[in-house]
Amino acid sequence: MTTKTRYFVVGSMLTLAIGLGVGLVAYSVGFSTSAFTREGGPAELQFVPANASLIAYADVHDVMASNLRQKVRSAFPLKEDGQHEFQNQTGINIETDIDHVLVAIVPTGEETGRMPGSPIVLARGQFDQVKIEALMREHGAQVEDYKGARLVVGDATDGKPSLSLAFLEPGLVAVGSHALICGAVDLKSGGSSIAANDEMMGLIRDLESGHAWAAGRFDALTSRANLPDGVVQQIPGITLFSASANIDSGIRGTFRAESRDEASATSLRDVVRGFLALARMQTSARPELASMLESLQLGGTGKTVALSFDLPPAMLDALVSLGQHRQGTLAPQQ
Amino acid sequence: MAASPANRRPSFVSSVLRIFDLSLSEMLWSRRSVFLALLVGGPILLAVVSRVVWMFGPNESLRINGGAVSGASIFGLMIWLLYVRFIVPILGVFYGTSLIADEVEDRTITYLFTRPIQRGAVLVGKYLAYLACTVLLILPSVMVVFFLMVPVGGGSIAQMFPSLLADLGMLAAGLAAYGAVFAWVGARVKRPLVAGLVFVLGWEPAVLLFPGYLKRATVAYYLQGLVPHAMPQDSTMSLLLQTFADMPGILPSLVALVVLTAGALWFAARTVASREYVLEQ
Repeated sequence: MTTKTRYFVVGSMLTLAIGLGVGLVAYSVGFSTSAFTREGGPAELQFVPANASLIAYADVHDVMASNLRQKVRSAFPLKEDGQHEFQNQTGINIETDIDHVLVAIVPTGEETGRMPGSPIVLARGQFDQVKIEALMREHGAQVEDYKGARLVVGDATDGKPSLSLAFLEPGLVAVGSHALICGAVDLKSGGSSIAANDEMMGLIRDLESGHAWAAGRFDALTSRANLPDGVVQQIPGITLFSASANIDSGIRGTFRAESRDEASATSLRDVVRGFLALARMQTSARPELASMLESLQLGGTGKTVALSFDLPPAMLDALVSLGQHRQGTLAPQQ
Repeated sequence: MAASPANRRPSFVSSVLRIFDLSLSEMLWSRRSVFLALLVGGPILLAVVSRVVWMFGPNESLRINGGAVSGASIFGLMIWLLYVRFIVPILGVFYGTSLIADEVEDRTITYLFTRPIQRGAVLVGKYLAYLACTVLLILPSVMVVFFLMVPVGGGSIAQMFPSLLADLGMLAAGLAAYGAVFAWVGARVKRPLVAGLVFVLGWEPAVLLFPGYLKRATVAYYLQGLVPHAMPQDSTMSLLLQTFADMPGILPSLVALVVLTAGALWFAARTVASREYVLEQ
């Protein structure tokens, strides 16, 4: 072997060894390169209990300021009575006061309706604390002290559990059941929050920095969905799911599902692929829908199945004008 | 009377190692290496460009069919379209068919066959040199592409690492299988390159499109069973491939590739050992 060849072999093997070494270290310590770009989810996660089954986040400010929202608003001018009423009751202007909101569903045994648990809402923004408290007291709420935090406990009506509210930090309000709000106050001084749940945090870290995202256990999603047995049996063993969307002039998003094993993931990919092929055949004569289907990309490796989509501004314009057209044709009938 | 050390015929293994040592340098620094460098450098260049676009372009600037895609998805796409469907089969054809054919064409095979080594060892040694040459170039190339592409769009190296290992193993298995098959073709057929290109660019893509058992007479069928990434939906052909998808499991694919490699190599060695190569004047 010549010296030149020996150098090549050593260089090549060194490249492989370094790559494998770095990858192995990353794999064993769970290091994600995305840690360089953002922390593991929003800071409000520290107030969410470790057993939360679903977590959803929305950057309300960006969504409200997006071109898409302006477009929809100008195309379909809605009455703002509801928004004004909410503002009068709580002092919160949804458009300007809330920056972002995090909602978690926690299985507490107090499930009501179709929720797979009790929700806790954590909203960050600019709130008039005095006005909110005064308005709630007008509606029968009472103020109590819990470990130094002021809890506004709403009146229980129609057998529903009472709604409580607390300002956990300046500009951060938590709304939910009394037990959950007390739990959030407890977590403020430390404890096992969702940040200690590696399974959920793995999902949240891997979410793209979307304007809106959700992640959770798939059984929590289907348990209250009243899906027919046939449909539930046909869904290959999905354990976890996550979804994220970016909203600007258009909407781009990704849905990810983690299955029990690779065989289930392959089955799920086959099911989705079949649906996509069927949809493509059905929409071949409709270019506006065909281009939307073209943007659907099926991906994922191992136990992960990912489906990404993109609704470009042109397509949303077409949908908006279709909606306007329908409104126009329905109005004379009404 | 015992044979003196000078007259003793070397063992098969030591003959193979000697030929391997001799052939590796020849293979690496030949004219064909320019072609190999282009094949290996292409994906790296593409990954660098994608990375630069992602770093300096607008948010979600990497798109396919208008849809934003993550770096991990693009890496999966590159493994399928560049490595599995193109680079590995083409390298197998060009290098595998030339193992013996080049020696015949250059009329240097006589020098090898007049040495006191088994003829089969010549082919096996050259095959191992081909495998070392291609594996040592392709796998680092995949590694570089992986580290360039996967972090794009917030992808996790830790999460994707097991699939990288599967990719490396799959590509090495593919290079071994294609190389062995075309080493046999090169030892047996007069115009092996044409036959190889027809097999890789004609037979395999055509047969994989149709339902039935014919696809089992390809290497690609078993290789695709080892790819950990979802098959891309890049064309009508891919759509047809997905519609008639009949992917074998990982274990059957591995067994089939091992049997195919060992079988093809054994037949190739037998062919070289028994065939009389007539050198054109």
